[in-house]
Amino acid sequence: MGNKNLDFLFRPASIAVVGASAVPGKISSIILESLKNSGYGGKVFLVNPGYESIGKERCYPSIASIGEEVDLALYAIPAAGVAESLREAAGRVKGAVIIGGGFGEAGEQGRAFEKEIKDIVRKEGVRVVGPNCMGVYDTVSRLDTFFVPAERVKRPSRGGLSIISQSGSFAVTVMDELAAEGIGVARVVSYGNRVDVNESDCLDFLAADEHTKAVAVYMESVDEGRRFVESASRCSAVKPVMAVKVGRHDAGVLAARSHTGAIAGRYEIYRAAFRKAGVIELEGYEDFMDACKAYGTQEASGGNRVMIITDGGGMGVSIADACSKTGLEVPPLSADLADDLRSVFPPYFSVSNPMDLTGSATDALYAEALEKTMGGEGYDMAIVAALWGPPGLSDGLPALIAEKAGLYGKPVIICSPGGEFSREKTRLFRAGNLPVFSTPESAARAASALAGGAKKVKANG
Amino acid sequence: MDTSQMERIVKEAVSLGRTTLVEPEAKEILRLSTVQVPRFFIAKDVVGAFEAAERIGYPIVLKLVSPDIIHKSEVRGVSLGIMNKRELEQMWSEMILCVADEMPTALIEGFLIEEMVPVGAEVIIGAIKDPQFGPVVMFGTGGAAVELMKDVSFRLAPLTREEAFEMMGEVKGFPLLTGYRGGAVKDLGAIADAIMKMAEIIEKVDGLKEIEINPLIVYEKGAVAVDARAILG
Repeated sequence: MGNKNLDFLFRPASIAVVGASAVPGKISSIILESLKNSGYGGKVFLVNPGYESIGKERCYPSIASIGEEVDLALYAIPAAGVAESLREAAGRVKGAVIIGGGFGEAGEQGRAFEKEIKDIVRKEGVRVVGPNCMGVYDTVSRLDTFFVPAERVKRPSRGGLSIISQSGSFAVTVMDELAAEGIGVARVVSYGNRVDVNESDCLDFLAADEHTKAVAVYMESVDEGRRFVESASRCSAVKPVMAVKVGRHDAGVLAARSHTGAIAGRYEIYRAAFRKAGVIELEGYEDFMDACKAYGTQEASGGNRVMIITDGGGMGVSIADACSKTGLEVPPLSADLADDLRSVFPPYFSVSNPMDLTGSATDALYAEALEKTMGGEGYDMAIVAALWGPPGLSDGLPALIAEKAGLYGKPVIICSPGGEFSREKTRLFRAGNLPVFSTPESAARAASALAGGAKKVKANG
Repeated sequence: MDTSQMERIVKEAVSLGRTTLVEPEAKEILRLSTVQVPRFFIAKDVVGAFEAAERIGYPIVLKLVSPDIIHKSEVRGVSLGIMNKRELEQMWSEMILCVADEMPTALIEGFLIEEMVPVGAEVIIGAIKDPQFGPVVMFGTGGAAVELMKDVSFRLAPLTREEAFEMMGEVKGFPLLTGYRGGAVKDLGAIADAIMKMAEIIEKVDGLKEIEINPLIVYEKGAVAVDARAILG
């Protein structure tokens, strides 16, 4: 169980695109385009009884006519035809991704189609992702089954973050944003109506996946609650796992006759499940993006003590407030550290936490402050809010901060609010693999997510 | 924990077509699990009530026992601090009249005559079987206003004693148990024990869907479940 049986999805040696079409703009032709762009190296077979060939590629009337076993079949045909085709393909394919909708989410007829698919999964042992999903975007096996054109939705580069999403559009939007932020991903899977493969299957695979350094989960509901807790616990024991659960205001399904039953809405139980499994709870879309950006470039911190370094006093205090709100600590400098810093800083600097380097800030002073505070035992991570006003700051600052950040193995988060000039500089931080946030609140949320990952991994390690 | 006797209570209620346990049944389950409950007797008539009150000793508490009434105080089905036989007789008559007025169709199984326990800090402990995640336990403060305040925390069962303590620490009202404004520090160990027992009950007793202690009165030493309810299913 686990790792091996999702290889058809994450490491397919061959793919059949069922419903391949020569008509531009059709879902199947976008998928073919995505597959081509992703640089997938395995065999790709086109299947459609309506064509002899598409472009220069041969087109097969059925999966059976291919004449060899196929790892993954991608279904881009209307719901009514999927069951028959899948039944015929059973024994010749290891697994399928059913892209199209019109199943359980679409009335009685759709539910009947979905039930047929479930029966085939049970009887024939073929594994199915979807229906009503995007499938997989995988930078490790260079696989992309998403039916959104690359010119509209950018694909992220290779990285260590993997994403499991019940919603296809959520996965797509997050990918697009991460691509724009220069944050890479390992594997993204959208599993839709989950007639077979569910979030626990994916967590089992990703727990053992050496290319995945952290996992982010978007869920609307859970398939097998207790199994999810077990799978997420195993995964969070070896790498950070974070999750957002949406649709929080569903009424409790219990006969709410005790106070407990009345209070125990669905979300409270999900939260308890996340706690039990060591999953970092994310509050919503912003929180999800901030955590993804943080884990896309940084590792979990050793604890929750934050050092704030800035050249704007007000911004420093704002970040400190945002940190306390999320449960992070902003401890004062130790007497020794303060003495040490006073010996190198001008007397009018505010040597405390937050540390204000004022308008006299220079690249070197930032480097000094970061080195001295991160070098000791007093702090687990730093939020650096370099406001670009001081003339002493140059384009070399981001690279210098990145260099110092690398010395101590502690996360460094950049908070860089501001207008045109500041926004233009964010690319310099990104080049140094530092996550950039435009508000104190988002920087604090990111720091909180990194602190949340530490405890569990450590406690189990 | 031996659940066979607890399951017998549940089965008997189910065989009578009931969907809830009445308070003395829920308390019997708690008592069997070693959660402390006040001494009590059930009286079918006023003479029986006098006898029970004599055996317990005044002051006593008088409560309605009805499978149709889940929140007794809403029909004035609870009378605290009854000092003597004359007061008991008076409260008995008033309670019968009030119920006849408010819920004329409610089946009255009898009356609970119970030891009046001293004042202490009040907490709620509940446990439910969630259709997705299975047994879950809740801890909270706020007494009767708990649904309004929602100052509660949840854990999946089974849970460790450490998790039970974490649950207490997570609610805003926690300082009320640890000496807020000069109050005495309450027996947190007794609360943790009750949380663990409730988690075990919901996990192990078949046919029980929800069980709740509200309130558990907590002292410097020990804690007593003065009211309890349970939903079957």
